[in-house]
Amino acid sequence: MNSMNNKKKYDTDTTSRVQASLKKRYAREKRFQLYGRMAVLTGFVFLFLLLADIISKGTPAFTQGFIKVSLTLDPEQLDIQENPTKDDLWKADYSAVIKQGLRDMFPEVDGRKQKKQLYRLISIGAQYNLRDYVIEHPEAIGKSMQIWLMAHSEADSYLKGQVKIDDPEADRRITDNQASWLDQLREQGLTEKRFNTTFFTSGDSREPELAGIKAALFGSFFTLLVTFLLSFPVGVFAAIYLEEFAPRNRLTDLIEININNLAAVPSIVFGLLGLAVFINFFELPRSAPLVGGIVLSLMTLPTIIITSRTSIQSVSPSIREAALGVGASKLQTIFHHVLPVAMPGVLTGAIIGMAQALGESAPLLMIGMVAFIMDVPGGITDPSTVLPIQVYLWADSPERGFMEKTSAAIMVLMGFLIIMNALAIYLRKRFELK
Amino acid sequence: MDTVSMRKEHNIPGESAVMDKQLADKPLEGIVENLRECDVRESKKVHQYETIGKPFTDNARISARDVNVYYGDKQAIIDASLDIGSNEVLAMIGPSGCGKSTFLRCINRMNDIIPICRVEGSITLDGEDIYGSDMDTVLLRARVGMVFQKPNPFPKSIYENVAYGPRIHGLAHNKAEMDDIVEKSLRRASLFDEVKDQLDKPGTGLSGGQQQRLCIARAIAVSPEVILMDEPCSALDPIATARIEELIDELKEKYTIAIVTHSMQQAARVSQRTAYFHLGKIIEVGDTREIFTTPQHELTENYITGRFG
Amino acid sequence: MQTSTIFLALLILTVVSFILGLRRSHTVSVGHGGVKSLHSLPRHYGYMTALWAGLPALLMLFFWVVFEDKVLYSLVIANLPDSVKAMQESQLGLYYNQVVSFATGNIESTQLNEDQIAAAAYYNSLLSTGNFIKGGLVFAIAIFGASLALQRIRPAFRARNNVETIIKWILFACSFIAVLTTAGIVLSVLFEAMRFFQSIPITDFLFGLEWSPQMAIRADQVGSSGSFGFVPLFVGTLLITAVAMFIAVPVGLMSAIYMSEYATARFRTISKPILEILAGVPTVVYGFFAALTVAPFIRNLGESIGLSVSSESALAAGLVMGIMIIPFVMSLSDDIINAVPDTMREASLGLGATMNETIRKVLLPAALPGIVGGILLAVSRAIGETMIVVMAAGLSAKLTINPLEAVTTVTVQIVTLLVGDQEFDSPKTLAAFALGLVLFFVTLMLNIIALYIVRKYREQYE
Repeated sequence: MNSMNNKKKYDTDTTSRVQASLKKRYAREKRFQLYGRMAVLTGFVFLFLLLADIISKGTPAFTQGFIKVSLTLDPEQLDIQENPTKDDLWKADYSAVIKQGLRDMFPEVDGRKQKKQLYRLISIGAQYNLRDYVIEHPEAIGKSMQIWLMAHSEADSYLKGQVKIDDPEADRRITDNQASWLDQLREQGLTEKRFNTTFFTSGDSREPELAGIKAALFGSFFTLLVTFLLSFPVGVFAAIYLEEFAPRNRLTDLIEININNLAAVPSIVFGLLGLAVFINFFELPRSAPLVGGIVLSLMTLPTIIITSRTSIQSVSPSIREAALGVGASKLQTIFHHVLPVAMPGVLTGAIIGMAQALGESAPLLMIGMVAFIMDVPGGITDPSTVLPIQVYLWADSPERGFMEKTSAAIMVLMGFLIIMNALAIYLRKRFELK
Repeated sequence: MDTVSMRKEHNIPGESAVMDKQLADKPLEGIVENLRECDVRESKKVHQYETIGKPFTDNARISARDVNVYYGDKQAIIDASLDIGSNEVLAMIGPSGCGKSTFLRCINRMNDIIPICRVEGSITLDGEDIYGSDMDTVLLRARVGMVFQKPNPFPKSIYENVAYGPRIHGLAHNKAEMDDIVEKSLRRASLFDEVKDQLDKPGTGLSGGQQQRLCIARAIAVSPEVILMDEPCSALDPIATARIEELIDELKEKYTIAIVTHSMQQAARVSQRTAYFHLGKIIEVGDTREIFTTPQHELTENYITGRFG
Repeated sequence: MQTSTIFLALLILTVVSFILGLRRSHTVSVGHGGVKSLHSLPRHYGYMTALWAGLPALLMLFFWVVFEDKVLYSLVIANLPDSVKAMQESQLGLYYNQVVSFATGNIESTQLNEDQIAAAAYYNSLLSTGNFIKGGLVFAIAIFGASLALQRIRPAFRARNNVETIIKWILFACSFIAVLTTAGIVLSVLFEAMRFFQSIPITDFLFGLEWSPQMAIRADQVGSSGSFGFVPLFVGTLLITAVAMFIAVPVGLMSAIYMSEYATARFRTISKPILEILAGVPTVVYGFFAALTVAPFIRNLGESIGLSVSSESALAAGLVMGIMIIPFVMSLSDDIINAVPDTMREASLGLGATMNETIRKVLLPAALPGIVGGILLAVSRAIGETMIVVMAAGLSAKLTINPLEAVTTVTVQIVTLLVGDQEFDSPKTLAAFALGLVLFFVTLMLNIIALYIVRKYREQYE
């Protein structure tokens, strides 16, 4: 009985004290979990905001406004003779014809200032489209015709509804006149939106509506090509050496320390290295994919080495033993047996490394890939730029049209990155090590 | 950058695949390791046996009836019914793995941490259903303490190790009370004299045996009613083991103790009642002396005479 | 002969060497019982011969091509009259470029003077002689190597081992590149920075409070005071980093805790890809977002409550940088928290602690050194970040700790100083290398300390 009383005393004492504390503690627990969930959601929300912002800004860039202009291919205005050669046709004054056409469409327009505004509805590049048409259809000379011409980026912006018409005229890029003319054209069905192929078929330009990412895409391609060709073999070989051959000594430690350190060096320092050594000392061509590729390959080398090492490590030792058991030499074991098994992991790492390299811009700024590149680079020594730097350059431009182009370029860049990462994940899942 | 973190950052296969598995079910490694050693469903024979001996007692603190425990598809405990009496030491013996620890961990609901673990049946503490909806786990674990296989003091000072439990439960209202609780607990764990001058030294700096006694003190500090011990001496040397066995004998004056042990000699030395577990089933329960001198079941006898286990 | 032709010819020679080696192994084995008596497979003898022929010759070709221009430069310049040699380096460079352009037929002779035309002729003669020697050397080495190898082919000769040793050396060289790269970085940055410190004393640089890098282009230019004080850049960098850490550390740490201790498997499978995307967004995209969306937003927000906020505020740049670093902190923290053994958790839960008590009072204190190490690594990452600050932070070096103002950072200045038409030698551009040196050094120190802390922490639990 005594023990029972003692027990009861224990019970009530501890139990009651504990119970008193419970409510507060559970409330704390709930709050803590809430903070945790909020923290995770914060990341999601930021990402969502970022993507939503980019997509909403960039989607309009994929369409381009066109205006149907009625004009007459008057040989006198074009400044060409009878039986013109191709050269003559090339040099003819198409811009004059377009301007005349516009004047005819809006006869009430008067005065130099107003006419200038009228001409600004059509892109400067439209004359080249007309030129190409005439060269292909020289029989059209002398006749009247209607042709769809690319709108100027400001006009295009208005047609897409991006201009706040309530703002005072001085704050806008579109004058009231221009706005009313565009409205008229729209009502008459003389405006059209088409898919913006120019974005993918042309290089950079001063005019937003004529600017495209083709040059940057090729530049990125060549740069990544060089990066891959340099970093993949060197990285895999280095991984093989470190995993299979390296003795446990100071030299190996030095190598491993260096690899780990390089992985954490800021990317801009690699740019400085590229500038000082490859451009100044070795005098390689500035802003060429060759130099960009070399710099980026030095940056991705640690990634590839580390990931390849992990893959090689995870190959089951029984494979090695079996190979050695039948008398294969160490190198034969590695290249015939271990490496093939490790290859999916190695490739995954390489793809991830390439994806990182694709998005890099800081070191490439240093080696000069910031030039205004209109022409598509043909090889690894031609001056070029890469997609992320194209984004950077456009982001700086004041024209409104470039903002949507920048966002669209970002969408393309992210698209590539998502594909590459998805490929890496697919590879990883497909060959998942049990 | 640290290579492991870099691998994580780049989600490299190999490491990541392992990580994914961990994240997926996150079991506590020791439990599942043991489980793989004895896939219980394969041995159908065990199901046939009824528990013989005296599984039940009069003044039972803990009563288990028809308890079945599953890890996913695998069944770890089959129809277990057992009483643990007040102020007694009950030893649970049996071949490696196979349910003893699992059963023990049901009593303070530590198995709740493992998502794939499912417990059926009833276990009561002083008549209250442990798995009932109005049983609070936090309170339960304050009333039913546990000492683990490997000593696991917190990386805090000796004082803080012992004070941790009372602190979070709000058992001391001021420093004087807390000092009192710490000293009492250390004394009862027969550790106080050895550490009284170094209470602010880290608990991890003690020897193995001392660490385990620290863990016992830590468990005692919240004034539990029952103490569960999961092979508490398996990581200790014989001298430390002997001290802890003495300790257990003293502790039973105040607490009810259930101890899982691999060593039959230990069970014989410290316990009053013994339960023999075989492949998840309680085969036989009885007074320790009887179990070890005249076991009634063939399996019990085989184990005790060393035919297996 | 063009380099590419030589290269192609070398390739062919290598293949021929392979075949020769292969054949020879057959012939040599005839008297001794056939191919089986050979130590290695016939093709190994082929490989060996090909390597002995091709590798040295390739290396020779490589070094020649790399150093050709420099050597030509020195030789041509040495041959010019003294008056020309006395010119400033940059002018001399221009002079030389003209010579080369004429020599390669890119410009007309009307733009040059007599000396230059003579020098151009000299250049061309040197070039053709050089090409001749280049080709000759390469072939000679290749043939020499091949014959050396062929001589050695005997049945007992261990060709395969030979080949494997050569390959091992190649593998070693590949891994040594990491060391070379670091050395390259250190040397190049150091070298240029030293040149900078010849013009600007190092104490002025390290402790100067004003940064406005103007340099006189000509000695007589007015208003050419340039100050190269590093402190405002340092403070600016730290300010933005602090803002970034203020966001990234709590969010990243808390997220990691939630994901590893509370989240269900399903939650994790959904969140992982999203977090991977967040981690994979290129920094230039973050920069765009910061400059065109976040900065104006903060500015408008500030103005609506009466604060004056710069359109390039440290707050905007820091905020976006913080977002970028969140996945990094999360992944490091996750690692660190998982390194705490489960027995700690069990012990705490077994005493009746709630999960958050276990985390706050047991896990986090136990993991603290590791977390501190992780934060240091994140700081290092933030300090070295370039694109976000180039696009969203300011250019003028204001010494302030007010996050609503515009500040500039070390990386921004490096970019501004170098992305422009600067001649390479002016202290202005060299200042960029001095900054680069400091940046490299600081991040290296942070990394070393952080890794040391984390390693010590891990050792506790192993």
